Amino acid sequence: MATYKRELRKEIKRRAQEPEINFLNITAMLDMMTIILVFLLKSMSQSSANIPQSSDLTMPKSTLTTEASQEGVAVLVSKTNIVVDDSAVVPVPADPTHGIEGKYKRSGPNDLYIVPLANALQSWRERDRQIRAATGKDPSFSEAIIIADAGTPYRLLVEVLFTLGQAEFSRFHLMVLQGAKK
Amino acid sequence: MAGQQPQEKLNAAQRSKIRRLSAPKEPAEGEEAGELNVVPFLDIITNVMMFVLATVVTTFTATIDTMPPKAGGSGARAPTTPTLGLTVIIVPDGFSVKARGGNVATGCNETGPGLAVGKVNGPDGMEYDYKSLNACAKKLKNLSSDFKDETSVTVSANPNIPYQVVISTMDALRRDDQDEVLFPDVNFGLAR
Repeated sequence: MATYKRELRKEIKRRAQEPEINFLNITAMLDMMTIILVFLLKSMSQSSANIPQSSDLTMPKSTLTTEASQEGVAVLVSKTNIVVDDSAVVPVPADPTHGIEGKYKRSGPNDLYIVPLANALQSWRERDRQIRAATGKDPSFSEAIIIADAGTPYRLLVEVLFTLGQAEFSRFHLMVLQGAKK
Repeated sequence: MAGQQPQEKLNAAQRSKIRRLSAPKEPAEGEEAGELNVVPFLDIITNVMMFVLATVVTTFTATIDTMPPKAGGSGARAPTTPTLGLTVIIVPDGFSVKARGGNVATGCNETGPGLAVGKVNGPDGMEYDYKSLNACAKKLKNLSSDFKDETSVTVSANPNIPYQVVISTMDALRRDDQDEVLFPDVNFGLAR
Protein backbone atom coordinates (compact mmCIF):
# COMPACT_ATOMS: atom_id res chain seq x y z
CA MET A 1 0.00 0.00 0.00
CA ALA A 2 2.88 2.33 0.83
CA THR A 3 4.39 1.72 -2.57
CA TYR A 4 1.08 2.42 -4.20
CA LYS A 5 0.75 5.78 -2.40
CA ARG A 6 4.36 6.71 -3.17
CA GLU A 7 3.90 5.86 -6.83
CA LEU A 8 0.64 7.82 -6.95
CA ARG A 9 2.29 10.91 -5.42
CA LYS A 10 5.20 10.63 -7.84
CA GLU A 11 2.92 10.27 -10.81
CA ILE A 12 0.70 13.22 -9.75
CA LYS A 13 3.80 15.36 -9.34
CA ARG A 14 5.17 14.31 -12.70
CA ARG A 15 1.97 14.96 -14.60
CA ALA A 16 1.06 18.21 -12.86
CA GLN A 17 0.74 21.14 -15.26
CA GLU A 18 1.74 24.70 -14.63
CA PRO A 19 -1.39 26.86 -14.79
CA GLU A 20 -1.19 28.80 -17.99
CA ILE A 21 -2.66 32.24 -18.61
CA ASN A 22 -4.88 31.73 -21.59
CA PHE A 23 -6.76 35.03 -21.52
CA LEU A 24 -5.77 38.69 -21.52
CA ASN A 25 -6.39 40.37 -18.21
CA ILE A 26 -7.87 43.70 -19.17
CA THR A 27 -9.12 44.69 -15.72
CA ALA A 28 -6.14 46.99 -15.15
CA MET A 29 -6.68 48.61 -18.53
CA LEU A 30 -10.36 49.19 -17.75
CA ASP A 31 -9.41 50.76 -14.44
CA MET A 32 -7.18 53.14 -16.35
CA MET A 33 -9.90 53.87 -18.92
CA THR A 34 -12.40 54.67 -16.22
CA ILE A 35 -9.97 57.03 -14.52
CA ILE A 36 -9.21 58.75 -17.82
CA LEU A 37 -12.93 59.07 -18.58
CA VAL A 38 -13.63 60.63 -15.20
CA PHE A 39 -10.66 62.96 -15.63
CA LEU A 40 -11.86 64.01 -19.10
CA LEU A 41 -15.40 64.65 -17.92
CA LYS A 42 -14.12 66.71 -15.01
CA SER A 43 -11.69 68.79 -17.04
CA MET A 44 -14.28 69.38 -19.79
CA SER A 45 -16.83 70.56 -17.28
CA GLN A 46 -14.32 72.91 -15.69
CA SER A 47 -13.18 74.51 -18.91
CA SER A 48 -15.10 76.37 -21.55
CA ALA A 49 -17.83 73.79 -21.86
CA ASN A 50 -19.59 75.25 -18.83
CA ILE A 51 -20.11 78.56 -20.56
CA PRO A 52 -23.73 78.48 -21.63
CA GLN A 53 -24.20 78.94 -25.35
CA SER A 54 -27.79 79.85 -26.03
CA SER A 55 -29.81 82.37 -27.94
CA ASP A 56 -29.39 84.65 -24.91
CA LEU A 57 -25.61 84.45 -24.95
CA THR A 58 -23.56 83.56 -28.00
CA MET A 59 -19.93 84.49 -27.73
CA PRO A 60 -18.23 86.22 -30.66
CA LYS A 61 -15.80 84.30 -32.84
CA SER A 62 -12.17 85.24 -33.20
CA THR A 63 -9.13 84.09 -35.13
CA LEU A 64 -7.20 84.00 -31.87
CA THR A 65 -5.93 80.55 -30.88
CA THR A 66 -4.25 81.23 -27.56
CA GLU A 67 -5.42 79.54 -24.40
CA ALA A 68 -8.19 81.22 -22.47
CA SER A 69 -7.24 82.88 -19.22
CA GLN A 70 -9.19 81.54 -16.25
CA GLU A 71 -8.18 84.20 -13.75
CA GLY A 72 -10.60 86.82 -12.55
CA VAL A 73 -14.26 87.36 -11.87
CA ALA A 74 -16.55 86.25 -14.67
CA VAL A 75 -18.87 88.99 -15.87
CA LEU A 76 -21.52 87.74 -18.28
CA VAL A 77 -23.29 90.21 -20.51
CA SER A 78 -26.20 88.42 -22.13
CA LYS A 79 -29.09 89.82 -24.14
CA THR A 80 -31.22 90.12 -20.98
CA ASN A 81 -28.92 90.43 -17.95
CA ILE A 82 -25.52 91.29 -16.62
CA VAL A 83 -24.42 88.44 -14.38
CA VAL A 84 -21.59 88.47 -11.84
CA ASP A 85 -20.62 85.28 -10.04
CA ASP A 86 -23.79 83.47 -11.17
CA SER A 87 -26.18 86.13 -9.91
CA ALA A 88 -27.97 88.60 -12.16
CA VAL A 89 -27.18 92.14 -11.04
CA VAL A 90 -28.81 94.39 -13.61
CA PRO A 91 -31.22 93.81 -16.52
CA VAL A 92 -30.26 94.71 -20.07
CA PRO A 93 -32.99 96.72 -21.80
CA ALA A 94 -34.66 95.49 -24.98
CA ASP A 95 -32.81 98.16 -26.97
CA PRO A 96 -29.33 98.23 -25.42
CA THR A 97 -27.74 100.60 -27.96
CA HIS A 98 -27.94 103.37 -25.34
CA GLY A 99 -26.62 101.14 -22.57
CA ILE A 100 -28.24 100.26 -19.28
CA GLU A 101 -31.29 102.23 -18.17
CA GLY A 102 -30.58 105.57 -16.52
CA LYS A 103 -32.07 104.56 -13.16
CA TYR A 104 -29.21 102.07 -12.67
CA LYS A 105 -26.56 104.70 -13.39
CA ARG A 106 -24.81 107.00 -10.94
CA SER A 107 -25.97 110.23 -12.59
CA GLY A 108 -28.43 109.57 -15.33
CA PRO A 109 -28.50 107.82 -18.70
CA ASN A 110 -25.36 109.50 -20.07
CA ASP A 111 -23.19 108.19 -17.26
CA LEU A 112 -21.15 105.03 -17.84
CA TYR A 113 -21.07 103.89 -14.21
CA ILE A 114 -23.54 101.06 -13.52
CA VAL A 115 -24.19 101.19 -9.76
CA PRO A 116 -25.58 97.65 -9.15
CA LEU A 117 -22.68 96.15 -11.12
CA ALA A 118 -20.12 98.15 -9.16
CA ASN A 119 -21.73 97.09 -5.87
CA ALA A 120 -21.64 93.43 -6.90
CA LEU A 121 -17.98 93.74 -7.87
CA GLN A 122 -16.98 95.43 -4.63
CA SER A 123 -17.14 92.34 -2.40
CA TRP A 124 -15.34 90.28 -5.00
CA ARG A 125 -12.64 92.94 -5.26
CA GLU A 126 -12.16 93.00 -1.48
CA ARG A 127 -11.74 89.22 -1.36
CA ASP A 128 -9.45 89.21 -4.37
CA ARG A 129 -7.30 91.98 -2.89
CA GLN A 130 -6.61 89.83 0.18
CA ILE A 131 -5.93 86.75 -1.93
CA ARG A 132 -3.55 88.62 -4.22
CA ALA A 133 -1.70 90.13 -1.25
CA ALA A 134 -1.40 86.70 0.39
CA THR A 135 -0.15 85.04 -2.79
CA GLY A 136 2.44 87.68 -3.55
CA LYS A 137 0.62 89.27 -6.48
CA ASP A 138 0.05 92.97 -6.97
CA PRO A 139 -3.06 93.71 -4.85
CA SER A 140 -3.68 97.10 -6.42
CA PHE A 141 -5.85 95.66 -9.19
CA SER A 142 -8.01 92.67 -10.04
CA GLU A 143 -8.74 90.84 -13.25
CA ALA A 144 -12.04 90.14 -14.93
CA ILE A 145 -13.19 87.76 -17.64
CA ILE A 146 -15.80 89.39 -19.87
CA ILE A 147 -18.15 86.92 -21.51
CA ALA A 148 -20.44 88.98 -23.67
CA ASP A 149 -22.98 88.19 -26.35
CA ALA A 150 -21.80 88.78 -29.92
CA GLY A 151 -24.60 91.27 -30.45
CA THR A 152 -23.80 93.41 -27.41
CA PRO A 153 -23.62 97.03 -28.58
CA TYR A 154 -20.36 98.88 -28.06
CA ARG A 155 -22.00 101.37 -25.70
CA LEU A 156 -23.05 98.63 -23.28
CA LEU A 157 -19.63 96.97 -23.52
CA VAL A 158 -17.90 100.24 -22.67
CA GLU A 159 -20.25 100.83 -19.73
CA VAL A 160 -19.37 97.42 -18.31
CA LEU A 161 -15.63 97.93 -18.87
CA PHE A 162 -15.75 101.44 -17.43
CA THR A 163 -17.58 100.24 -14.30
CA LEU A 164 -15.05 97.43 -13.91
CA GLY A 165 -12.25 99.97 -14.22
CA GLN A 166 -13.84 102.14 -11.53
CA ALA A 167 -14.06 99.09 -9.26
CA GLU A 168 -10.26 98.64 -9.52
CA PHE A 169 -10.38 95.95 -12.18
CA SER A 170 -7.72 96.96 -14.60
CA ARG A 171 -7.05 93.84 -16.64
CA PHE A 172 -9.80 92.35 -18.75
CA HIS A 173 -9.90 89.07 -20.61
CA LEU A 174 -12.49 89.23 -23.37
CA MET A 175 -13.62 85.67 -23.91
CA VAL A 176 -14.18 84.63 -27.51
CA LEU A 177 -14.74 81.43 -29.41
CA GLN A 178 -11.89 80.17 -31.53
CA GLY A 179 -12.43 79.27 -35.12
CA ALA A 180 -13.40 82.40 -37.04
CA LYS A 181 -12.24 82.49 -40.65
CA LYS A 182 -9.26 84.74 -41.33
CA MET B 1 19.85 -6.99 3.44
CA ALA B 2 19.01 -5.45 6.82
CA GLY B 3 16.93 -2.18 6.74
CA GLN B 4 15.94 -2.58 3.10
CA GLN B 5 12.20 -2.88 2.44
CA PRO B 6 11.21 -5.56 0.04
CA GLN B 7 10.03 -3.92 -3.24
CA GLU B 8 6.25 -4.25 -3.36
CA LYS B 9 5.02 -4.94 -6.86
CA LEU B 10 1.97 -3.05 -8.09
CA ASN B 11 -0.65 -4.98 -9.86
CA ALA B 12 -2.34 -3.86 -13.11
CA ALA B 13 -5.41 -2.48 -11.34
CA GLN B 14 -3.27 -0.34 -9.06
CA ARG B 15 -1.19 0.97 -11.98
CA SER B 16 -4.39 1.79 -13.85
CA LYS B 17 -5.78 3.58 -10.81
CA ILE B 18 -2.55 5.60 -10.43
CA ARG B 19 -2.77 6.66 -14.08
CA ARG B 20 -6.38 7.64 -13.65
CA LEU B 21 -5.89 9.56 -10.42
CA SER B 22 -2.73 11.35 -11.51
CA ALA B 23 -4.30 12.70 -14.68
CA PRO B 24 -4.55 16.52 -14.42
CA LYS B 25 -8.06 17.46 -13.45
CA GLU B 26 -10.16 19.77 -15.51
CA PRO B 27 -11.12 22.66 -13.26
CA ALA B 28 -14.64 22.34 -12.05
CA GLU B 29 -17.32 24.88 -12.89
CA GLY B 30 -16.67 27.91 -10.75
CA GLU B 31 -13.20 26.70 -9.77
CA GLU B 32 -11.40 27.83 -12.87
CA ALA B 33 -9.75 31.24 -13.01
CA GLY B 34 -12.66 32.77 -14.89
CA GLU B 35 -12.32 35.81 -17.13
CA LEU B 36 -14.16 38.85 -15.85
CA ASN B 37 -17.13 39.50 -18.10
CA VAL B 38 -16.56 43.11 -19.03
CA VAL B 39 -19.00 43.30 -21.92
CA PRO B 40 -21.81 45.00 -19.91
CA PHE B 41 -19.27 47.37 -18.43
CA LEU B 42 -17.95 48.25 -21.89
CA ASP B 43 -21.52 48.78 -23.08
CA ILE B 44 -22.06 51.28 -20.29
CA ILE B 45 -18.76 53.05 -20.98
CA THR B 46 -19.55 53.27 -24.70
CA ASN B 47 -23.00 54.66 -23.99
CA VAL B 48 -21.58 57.24 -21.59
CA MET B 49 -18.95 58.25 -24.13
CA MET B 50 -21.54 58.61 -26.91
CA PHE B 51 -23.81 60.60 -24.61
CA VAL B 52 -20.99 62.92 -23.57
CA LEU B 53 -19.79 63.45 -27.12
CA ALA B 54 -23.32 64.10 -28.35
CA THR B 55 -24.34 66.51 -25.64
CA VAL B 56 -21.20 68.42 -24.76
CA VAL B 57 -20.50 71.00 -27.42
CA THR B 58 -16.76 71.22 -27.34
CA THR B 59 -16.04 74.89 -27.52
CA PHE B 60 -12.51 76.12 -27.66
CA THR B 61 -12.23 79.54 -26.20
CA ALA B 62 -9.56 82.19 -26.13
CA THR B 63 -9.25 85.48 -24.31
CA ILE B 64 -8.15 88.86 -25.60
CA ASP B 65 -6.43 90.90 -22.92
CA THR B 66 -7.31 94.58 -22.72
CA MET B 67 -7.20 97.52 -20.36
CA PRO B 68 -10.02 99.78 -19.13
CA PRO B 69 -11.33 102.32 -21.64
CA LYS B 70 -9.49 105.62 -21.74
CA ALA B 71 -10.86 109.01 -22.54
CA GLY B 72 -8.51 110.82 -24.91
CA GLY B 73 -5.13 109.59 -26.16
CA SER B 74 -3.35 106.36 -25.43
CA GLY B 75 -1.24 107.68 -22.56
CA ALA B 76 1.90 109.71 -22.01
CA ARG B 77 4.46 109.64 -24.78
CA ALA B 78 7.97 110.88 -25.15
CA PRO B 79 7.59 114.02 -27.25
CA THR B 80 10.78 113.40 -29.18
CA THR B 81 9.78 109.99 -30.50
CA PRO B 82 7.48 110.06 -33.50
CA THR B 83 4.53 107.77 -32.93
CA LEU B 84 1.79 106.53 -35.18
CA GLY B 85 -0.94 106.77 -32.51
CA LEU B 86 -3.29 104.60 -34.52
CA THR B 87 -6.98 104.96 -33.75
CA VAL B 88 -9.66 102.96 -35.50
CA ILE B 89 -13.25 104.12 -35.14
CA ILE B 90 -15.91 101.69 -36.27
CA VAL B 91 -18.86 103.49 -37.81
CA PRO B 92 -21.92 101.99 -39.52
CA ASP B 93 -20.38 102.60 -42.98
CA GLY B 94 -16.88 101.26 -42.34
CA PHE B 95 -13.70 102.16 -40.52
CA SER B 96 -12.42 105.62 -39.84
CA VAL B 97 -8.67 105.49 -39.24
CA LYS B 98 -6.63 108.17 -37.56
CA ALA B 99 -2.85 108.14 -37.48
CA ARG B 100 -0.23 110.73 -36.55
CA GLY B 101 -3.01 113.02 -35.44
CA GLY B 102 -4.73 113.17 -38.82
CA ASN B 103 -7.56 111.36 -40.53
CA VAL B 104 -6.49 108.75 -43.06
CA ALA B 105 -8.36 109.22 -46.35
CA THR B 106 -10.04 106.54 -48.42
CA GLY B 107 -7.51 104.09 -49.83
CA CYS B 108 -5.22 104.50 -46.85
CA ASN B 109 -2.60 106.42 -48.78
CA GLU B 110 -2.79 109.96 -47.49
CA THR B 111 -4.49 112.14 -44.95
CA GLY B 112 -7.79 113.69 -45.83
CA PRO B 113 -11.50 113.48 -45.22
CA GLY B 114 -13.59 110.33 -45.54
CA LEU B 115 -13.54 106.79 -44.31
CA ALA B 116 -10.25 104.95 -44.73
CA VAL B 117 -11.98 101.63 -45.29
CA GLY B 118 -15.60 101.44 -46.38
CA LYS B 119 -17.98 98.53 -46.41
CA VAL B 120 -17.98 96.10 -49.31
CA ASN B 121 -20.62 93.93 -50.92
CA GLY B 122 -20.64 90.46 -49.43
CA PRO B 123 -22.89 87.40 -49.52
CA ASP B 124 -25.04 88.88 -46.73
CA GLY B 125 -25.18 92.42 -48.10
CA MET B 126 -22.80 95.21 -47.15
CA GLU B 127 -20.05 93.92 -44.87
CA TYR B 128 -17.09 95.36 -43.05
CA ASP B 129 -13.90 94.96 -45.08
CA TYR B 130 -11.50 93.47 -42.55
CA LYS B 131 -8.93 92.51 -45.20
CA SER B 132 -8.59 96.09 -46.36
CA LEU B 133 -8.37 97.29 -42.76
CA ASN B 134 -5.59 94.75 -42.17
CA ALA B 135 -3.76 95.96 -45.28
CA CYS B 136 -4.25 99.58 -44.20
CA ALA B 137 -2.83 98.91 -40.72
CA LYS B 138 0.15 97.14 -42.30
CA LYS B 139 0.74 100.04 -44.70
CA LEU B 140 0.60 102.59 -41.88
CA LYS B 141 2.94 100.57 -39.68
CA ASN B 142 5.47 100.28 -42.50
CA LEU B 143 5.41 104.03 -43.21
CA SER B 144 8.40 104.56 -40.96
CA SER B 145 10.86 102.40 -39.04
CA ASP B 146 9.93 104.46 -35.95
CA PHE B 147 6.57 102.69 -35.87
CA LYS B 148 7.81 99.12 -36.05
CA ASP B 149 7.84 98.71 -32.27
CA GLU B 150 4.45 100.30 -31.83
CA THR B 151 1.87 97.67 -30.98
CA SER B 152 -0.99 99.59 -29.40
CA VAL B 153 -4.11 100.79 -31.11
CA THR B 154 -7.17 102.55 -29.78
CA VAL B 155 -10.42 101.07 -30.99
CA SER B 156 -13.62 103.00 -30.65
CA ALA B 157 -17.02 102.51 -32.17
CA ASN B 158 -20.46 103.98 -32.56
CA PRO B 159 -22.74 103.01 -29.68
CA ASN B 160 -24.74 100.53 -31.76
CA ILE B 161 -21.81 98.58 -33.24
CA PRO B 162 -22.07 94.91 -32.18
CA TYR B 163 -19.38 93.27 -30.09
CA GLN B 164 -18.64 90.75 -32.88
CA VAL B 165 -17.58 93.59 -35.19
CA VAL B 166 -15.31 94.99 -32.47
CA ILE B 167 -13.68 91.56 -31.98
CA SER B 168 -13.25 91.04 -35.74
CA THR B 169 -11.69 94.51 -36.00
CA MET B 170 -9.24 93.59 -33.24
CA ASP B 171 -8.46 90.36 -35.13
CA ALA B 172 -7.80 92.34 -38.31
CA LEU B 173 -5.45 94.70 -36.48
CA ARG B 174 -3.54 91.97 -34.60
CA ARG B 175 -1.47 90.37 -37.35
CA ASP B 176 -0.94 90.73 -41.10
CA ASP B 177 -1.32 87.98 -43.71
CA GLN B 178 2.34 86.98 -43.21
CA ASP B 179 1.63 86.55 -39.47
CA GLU B 180 3.75 89.59 -38.59
CA VAL B 181 2.64 91.43 -35.46
CA LEU B 182 0.77 94.66 -36.19
CA PHE B 183 -1.22 96.11 -33.29
CA PRO B 184 -2.14 93.40 -30.75
CA ASP B 185 -2.53 95.76 -27.76
CA VAL B 186 -6.00 97.23 -27.93
CA ASN B 187 -7.32 100.08 -25.81
CA PHE B 188 -10.96 100.93 -26.03
CA GLY B 189 -11.88 104.52 -26.62
CA LEU B 190 -14.89 106.04 -24.96
CA ALA B 191 -17.73 106.89 -27.28
CA ARG B 192 -19.54 109.73 -25.57
